[in-house]
Amino acid sequence: MSATVATPAHRLPRTLVTGLLVVGAIALLAALGPWIAPYDPDAFDMRARLQPPSAAHWFGTDEFGRDVLSRVLSGAHHSILMGVGATAISLAIGVPLGLIAAFRRGWTEEVVMRCIDLMISLPPVLLGLLILAVTEPGLWKTILAVGLVYVPIMTRISRAVALDLLSEDFVEAARARGEGAYHILVREILPNAWPPLIVETALRITFAILLGSALSFLGLGPQPPASEWGLMIAESRPFIAEAPWIGLAPGLSLCLLLIAVNTVGEGLRDLLDPRLRGRGHG
Amino acid sequence: MGAFLLRRFASLAFVLWAMTVLVFAIVHILPGSVAHMILGEYATDAAIAALEERLGLNDPLYVQYWRWFSGILAGDFGTSLTMDRPAGPLIFEALGRSAVLASIAIVLVAAIGIALGIHSATHVGTASDRALTLGQYFFIAVPEFFWCILVILFFAVWLGWLPATGYTPLAEGGLLGWAKHLILPVSTLVLGLIAHVSRLTRSSMLEAIESRYVLAARAKGLPERTVLRRHALPNALLPAITVIAVDIGILIGGIVVVESVFAYPGLGRMLVYAIENQDLPLLMGGMIVVTAVYALANLAADILYAVLNPRIRVGGAV
Amino acid sequence: MAEALLDVAGLSVSYATRRGLVHALQDVSLAIPRGGAMGLVGESGSGKSSMVLALLGLLDKGARLEADRLDFAGEDLRQACARLRGSRIGTVFQDPAAALNPALRIGFQVAEPLVQHRRLPQPIALARAVELLAEMGIPRPAEVAQAYPHQLSGGMKQRAVIATALACEPELLLLDEPTTALDVTVEAQILDLLERLRRDRQVALLLVSHNLGIVDRLCDRLTVLYAGRVVEQGDAATMLRAPRHPYTRGLLAALPRADRGQLQRLAPIPGGLPDLTRPESGCNFAARCPFRAEGCDAPQALRDVAGRAVRCHRAEELGDTPWPRPGHTAAQRAPLGAMLLEAEGLARRFRLGGGFLQMFRSRAEVRAVDGVSLSLRRGEVLGLVGESGCGKTTLGRLLLRLIEADAGTIRFDGQPVSPRPDAAFRRRAQIVFQNPDSSLNPRQTVEQALLRPLVRFGLASGAAADREVDRLLERVRLSPAYRPRYPHQMSGGEKQRIGIARALASRPDFLVCDEAVSALDVSVQAAVLNLLADLRDELGVAFLFISHDIGVVAHIADRIAVMYRGVIVEEGPTQAVLAPPYHPYTQALLSAVPLVGQSGRATTRLRLVGDVSATGPASGCPFAHRCPVKIGAPCERQAPAMREVAVGHRIACHLPIEEMARAPHALMATE
Repeated sequence: MSATVATPAHRLPRTLVTGLLVVGAIALLAALGPWIAPYDPDAFDMRARLQPPSAAHWFGTDEFGRDVLSRVLSGAHHSILMGVGATAISLAIGVPLGLIAAFRRGWTEEVVMRCIDLMISLPPVLLGLLILAVTEPGLWKTILAVGLVYVPIMTRISRAVALDLLSEDFVEAARARGEGAYHILVREILPNAWPPLIVETALRITFAILLGSALSFLGLGPQPPASEWGLMIAESRPFIAEAPWIGLAPGLSLCLLLIAVNTVGEGLRDLLDPRLRGRGHG
Repeated sequence: MGAFLLRRFASLAFVLWAMTVLVFAIVHILPGSVAHMILGEYATDAAIAALEERLGLNDPLYVQYWRWFSGILAGDFGTSLTMDRPAGPLIFEALGRSAVLASIAIVLVAAIGIALGIHSATHVGTASDRALTLGQYFFIAVPEFFWCILVILFFAVWLGWLPATGYTPLAEGGLLGWAKHLILPVSTLVLGLIAHVSRLTRSSMLEAIESRYVLAARAKGLPERTVLRRHALPNALLPAITVIAVDIGILIGGIVVVESVFAYPGLGRMLVYAIENQDLPLLMGGMIVVTAVYALANLAADILYAVLNPRIRVGGAV
Repeated sequence: MAEALLDVAGLSVSYATRRGLVHALQDVSLAIPRGGAMGLVGESGSGKSSMVLALLGLLDKGARLEADRLDFAGEDLRQACARLRGSRIGTVFQDPAAALNPALRIGFQVAEPLVQHRRLPQPIALARAVELLAEMGIPRPAEVAQAYPHQLSGGMKQRAVIATALACEPELLLLDEPTTALDVTVEAQILDLLERLRRDRQVALLLVSHNLGIVDRLCDRLTVLYAGRVVEQGDAATMLRAPRHPYTRGLLAALPRADRGQLQRLAPIPGGLPDLTRPESGCNFAARCPFRAEGCDAPQALRDVAGRAVRCHRAEELGDTPWPRPGHTAAQRAPLGAMLLEAEGLARRFRLGGGFLQMFRSRAEVRAVDGVSLSLRRGEVLGLVGESGCGKTTLGRLLLRLIEADAGTIRFDGQPVSPRPDAAFRRRAQIVFQNPDSSLNPRQTVEQALLRPLVRFGLASGAAADREVDRLLERVRLSPAYRPRYPHQMSGGEKQRIGIARALASRPDFLVCDEAVSALDVSVQAAVLNLLADLRDELGVAFLFISHDIGVVAHIADRIAVMYRGVIVEEGPTQAVLAPPYHPYTQALLSAVPLVGQSGRATTRLRLVGDVSATGPASGCPFAHRCPVKIGAPCERQAPAMREVAVGHRIACHLPIEEMARAPHALMATE
């Protein structure tokens, strides 16, 4: 087919736009949280314990009389940090490992990939549990643990992407010019590897938030009185019958964030996945 | 096939051994004294010294490792620090109860997930396909622990149909009492996984439907039902098996959360208990057992894959 | 043609795409009588595959079909296709590896139509499937019926597919590029089979192909499709001898042919396919036609011209006027220079499978290249011919030191080349690849791709490098306007030119062309071949020209080396290799090539059994297991040495030279 035919401008998938709008709104609220929260999120008010949602307390109050809306707002940044931070860690370790394994082949690849196999032979939550069991819990430790959990997956994916690209003839052409590892990996491979990696990263953020909040829920994340959403849900359990709003407010917020982030990931997949793009039509 | 099994068992043994090293290393090498951890930060030096003596913590690490590892080989997981009972029986009792939860869940996930995925793929673009796709979006992203809260609120608190927490052994409560305690944990476990499996089954089924061999089958004049059932389905199921194997790992994570919320006395809850109470023998033993179960489940998936895939099952050229 | 079996009139097919409605077929008519054979020829994008799907009623759901008539044996296919396909219409698709279901046994797949249409019980259908497999010339059919597709070679798979298509004794067989995915010697076996089936069973054929030689062998009538329209239709032999539509003339002129091994330039067809979303009202070939004149933009009807239908208003007036050939020929060629490249005993084995955890697995080794020696002079073109898996690509990479050799030495310009060569060797020895889509980095512009070698080897910088890029583009006949383009903005032929320009940027003395024109359509291939011939003549670059297509090699090479299972079995000047004495493999290879206008060659054909298998006996002649003329024990036991049969012409075979010389000429028809 003639390649000179003008291609229509890429239209962003609707899913991507919607997802980005919601994620952006949540990020904005998280950033502004301390200023727009109606109350001090940690301030006890024993006269106003377990109050249902009202004009004064939109999301009600918890067992210490703290304003749930303020706590939800001030806790938003935890989830976002967990998603972004943990994914950044898994990218920073996994991508170079995967690229090097693919490029060096031989023993380097064997050793890297067998270590990865080992890490993968422990189910994700358990690896997080094990790491957090022996150290004092806290936000940054959770982020680190979740990041490490996802290193094997990022390594495998970037290796697979790189192996695919390394078999392309333009890489062989670079070898025929005697190009070094740096040029081949950074100039030839990486620019072509980022679309699948970005899709994976976006989807990975969803899972990182899920896993991080699950660990917090189990008491292995930020410690009380932190307003991390998973922790808030865990703390709400004794009051679930009399004051369900304490758990529902952070829970629904978390769901909204997760669905929005997942939607961004799916939208990016629609936009960048070559299998969905018309081949050869640019 | 024989060589394949031998190889897989060899690598299984290697992974399990390496896991014991890893678990031991993480527990013992990370900063912080084990005895401190157990006794808390206000312990006296004398108490710490006594505990270290009792647990053999003054021996070189390799001696400690060997003591623990050879114990495991002999079926001895040490003694639980908090319950003062042998850890092995505790672990395996809990494992049995978790296995009930896990096997019911995985059967449901496989059956419902694959069925929905195939339905979507064969009804692309219809209202039911769109509804399922939307549902997948939603259910993949909602965390299990929040589902737990929601179902407890709805079915236990508001409707009062099912017990919120606990466990009744089959012998005591009869089938109904036993099952009642399983319904809520199982349904929260499977929701996200069904979404995941059905989503990937849909895409592998679509890929099979668009293949040349399906076109060739249609050109043979076979009716569409036969084409889908006989030609597309077997090839679409292979990737589904791989997905389900991956999901076993996620399921195990889910079990930890779900057992904690529903106070279900399984291995997941025990692990959380062991961490909260710094019961190291229980924690390390439990971790090794979970890893072994996970590895065996993956092996089973691999074997199933090989059995269903003639490229592996049947050797080379005729 | 009153009682036509297949009768199609005014068939149009269009697809809704993002870019608009693509008109894949426009007003196509054709008819096939019982037992007749129609060839449907066209390049990629001509709509020939849509034709097959339209007849089967298997077009995508988004496709729109209109037809005045679409009849099979008097029934309207639009209603009856579901009942007819598989029973009265059999189909063979292009790639047998993709057309067979990997999860089902061969016998079951062959028997399926019998169970479906004849209502045979399963065991009887399976027994019939075994008979069918035997009829297709499959050895040990009972075993093959029990096998899965991955256990069979490509040729066996295609035989099984043909057996399936014939199971219900159809009256019409649709063949969609039935041999394109196969090696040439296997292709020859399949063509023999199809010829025999047509004769014995009186089955009508619709053969869809891009290869005129195949069509000439099997078909009595021919339809040429261009961009969805029939441009010429009539008796196959007449049309191929004296084409009347300019496009048919162009296709024939662009064909490199082994039987004309000559250093003349081919006649390419300039330009590319028109935009199918906006079909021209006039002649859609006019933009590429050298005979374009007034009246071409008016709608053209299919008219009766010299006994066939032609869609060109100048058909009579042009008569036998040939497609114009480019001016220059090989006369300007400089004499060969000094020795440039000498390789001695190169060897490379590959292990199947691997990894250190699988150490205790005993796995077969493939000797991809097994002790090859060859040499090249400056400005010389050595053609390397062989079928897939013979090791020719590995040999090319070994010579460039892109993969490590297990044994052997390479000297370049008199100096030994180390396993990790320096930049000087890298600059002087370059490579051009087969697949234009893979050979360019999708994220680099033409300019970036061409600048990099200049920078890497410090050949030019700044304004000088800029000028050099323009000069390179001019070398490959592209304008500077291509500089900012990305690969996806170019056609296959253009991308291939950029790949050549990139290899030329470092001013190499030696170029490995690995199937450099194999992925291109004939009309584009001719232009790229001409370009390579110009480079050979004007720059004095030495080529190792690797190809499975002996016609292409014969066109461009000074010398030819024939490779089989890692070993060079024959080597010599092009004309000497193309004529007796032959190595039996060369003879088989040459006689397997389907040539246009040579259907009389049947009597002289040397046919091989089976396919190349990767692993085989360790000792003896590597060709012995397929050799139709082997003389027994010596062939099995001892590898033959290279013997010089004439000056510079060497053959590795135990046969007496006189016997090899008595072989008939494989490319000529014997009367």
